[in-house]
Amino acid sequence: MNIIEIRELKKNYPLGTTTVHALRGIDMNIIEGDFLSIVGPSGSGKTTLLNIIGCIDSASEGSVKIGGVEITSLNDIEVTDMRLNRIGFIFQTFNLIPVLNVVENVEFPLLLMKKFTKAEVRKRADKLIDEVGLTDHAHHRPAELSGGQRQRVAIARALVTNPDIVLADEPTANLDSVTGGQILELMKEMNRIEKTTFIFSTHDENVLRYARDILKIRDGVLVKE
Amino acid sequence: MALIFKIAWRNLLRHKGKSIIIGVILFLAAFIMTLGSGIISGMDRGLELNIVNGFLGDIVIISKKEKSDNILFKMYGESIETITKYKDAKKILQSQEYIKDFIPVGKNMAMVLNEDEGDPGFAMTLGVDFEAYRKFFPDSFTMVEGSYPGKNEQGVIIPMKAREDLYDFINAWFLPEKGDIVEKNLTADAKENLKDLNIKRTAVFMGMSEGNYTSDIRLGVKGIMKFRALNTMWGHFSIMDIESYRKCLGYFSASDLSLEVSGDKKELLAMDDSNLDSMFGKGEFFVRDRGSSDISGISFKSRKGRETVGDIDYEAGIYNLIFIKLKKGEALDRSVGRLNEVLSKTELDMRAITWKKASGAIGSMAVIIKGALFTFVIFLFFVAVIIIVNTLSMAAIERTSEIGMMRAVGARKGFISGMFIGETAILSGLFGGAGIVFGIAVVNIIPLLHITSANDLVQLLYGGDVFKPYLSAGDTLVAVVQLVIVTFVTVVYPVRVAMGITPLDAISRE
Repeated sequence: MNIIEIRELKKNYPLGTTTVHALRGIDMNIIEGDFLSIVGPSGSGKTTLLNIIGCIDSASEGSVKIGGVEITSLNDIEVTDMRLNRIGFIFQTFNLIPVLNVVENVEFPLLLMKKFTKAEVRKRADKLIDEVGLTDHAHHRPAELSGGQRQRVAIARALVTNPDIVLADEPTANLDSVTGGQILELMKEMNRIEKTTFIFSTHDENVLRYARDILKIRDGVLVKE
Repeated sequence: MALIFKIAWRNLLRHKGKSIIIGVILFLAAFIMTLGSGIISGMDRGLELNIVNGFLGDIVIISKKEKSDNILFKMYGESIETITKYKDAKKILQSQEYIKDFIPVGKNMAMVLNEDEGDPGFAMTLGVDFEAYRKFFPDSFTMVEGSYPGKNEQGVIIPMKAREDLYDFINAWFLPEKGDIVEKNLTADAKENLKDLNIKRTAVFMGMSEGNYTSDIRLGVKGIMKFRALNTMWGHFSIMDIESYRKCLGYFSASDLSLEVSGDKKELLAMDDSNLDSMFGKGEFFVRDRGSSDISGISFKSRKGRETVGDIDYEAGIYNLIFIKLKKGEALDRSVGRLNEVLSKTELDMRAITWKKASGAIGSMAVIIKGALFTFVIFLFFVAVIIIVNTLSMAAIERTSEIGMMRAVGARKGFISGMFIGETAILSGLFGGAGIVFGIAVVNIIPLLHITSANDLVQLLYGGDVFKPYLSAGDTLVAVVQLVIVTFVTVVYPVRVAMGITPLDAISRE
């Protein structure tokens, strides 16, 4: 079953008097539970594609459906709720809330959802923190963690709401190769345990071996292998 | 909400430097605002206490012919219209349940003639029933020399200020009829000329009015007085018995009205204007214009007032004003409205005004001082708001990554705005609240220091002779409301900046 359906997706950026065509017409389907890597050189459009799938950026033309919902026509609140309820993010620079500790960072999206009791929130967060191996650091603030540990927190936070999709834009870019490998192993493990669709972008050929499926993008269009 | 305040509180601790800068500004602004409000309220209260309890009462009744409400300090030479039917007004005032007490007075300018052939001096004069006046304003002044006149006694009491002014104008140092020089009360100049001091124990007053029917009258100086506060202002008013005042101004006096008029004179008075020529034809009378409200137009040189007046119905004569005190808790404007409604249904040619309107000049100065204080406080707030807005906006921009990430993981704009409002509210609550509490403490401590001033302008600021800032519960509530308003005003722009940050901005920044 397709969790994501994209048709004729185009994205244009005005740049002075010219227009940059970041995406030139993407058609693709992503099946539920996939572990997909989007690869391509810098400026190829992979981050733009991820941002649009993640409801962070808007499409210039075309259709993007997530779980059957057309996201290009949603308003700000609907888009925000879509991100909260159906999408998890893992950023390149491990963006965590600096004033919250590990467990509070992981709890953050659950608290925004306002669906669960405090006990349920804590139980869910503790489970995810345990799964990413940070139980001993649960009450540490981001500044007290290493880069790899922060990325683990980001993974736990991305998964804590049971999203349909987790998007990771170059999740290993700022990590050394060993730690990067561990993070990708962890993402794969979480994909297996939680049955969540993972889509991550990279331009590092070494991380491709972790992907189940690979999509190549160049100059804003998908390239068939 | 708990999450918002948790993040807000920790963000404040994380950015201690900025938090302290904003907090100190909020503290100072709230403190100055509270203290300023206390000074303004204290001034209002002091002025009210001094004017209402010391000079005018709550409400003043004036003639409907009176063009201006400002009857306290009129331009020189401009007289105050007369009230001719006080006894009728008295019945009405007695029947108003919101009125506590009232007193009729005469009030106008008079010249104090120089008996040594020089230019005259000038004095404001009040004509009163001494006994009733003392009862009406029991604490407004003290006698510093001589004594307060007894019941029905005729004479004048002169304030220290007026005596000093008259000494400068006519070079006469007034002393009570029964009293010696009190050296400590002399001016520096008078002290220097002590041996040659031109002592006067009587004063010749000549009323000043727009009509040409005033008289001069010699009155014994019964005492020298000092007003409890605003002496340099009230100190212009010499107080004389009402009968002497009426004679001085050329009004109907009560004794005039008590005279028996013979039959032929009654006939004569009953004649209309068309028969006046026949009077001249017989050459029996000389008639002069004395205005509509008086019959005692006979001029006399230094007519000596009687020491006491017998059983005369004082209230039958002419007055200029009626001072009214309200019962405790009665609203001023509402009472004036009610009284004017009652008066309008009568034939009486009178209207009621508030003490604020009656004291126009003082009120205006008070308004100017209050305005200056208010402007200063607003200016401070304006500066404070700009600094805080700028600091918070910079903080919002610096936190683009954090805010953008929050938005990316599902925080709505309302959450972001709540976080900023929460941060500012915490700072306002802690530092601004401390400023208000400190302001309240200072406002309550200042009166204990008993700071006094003899300066007229400063006394206006003080609202009396002692600096007594005052904060009512309402003032405190206003300070809190102002702080809340400032909090929201300062946070509006930074919140807009923060709400405008998108996840894409955060990613782009990275």
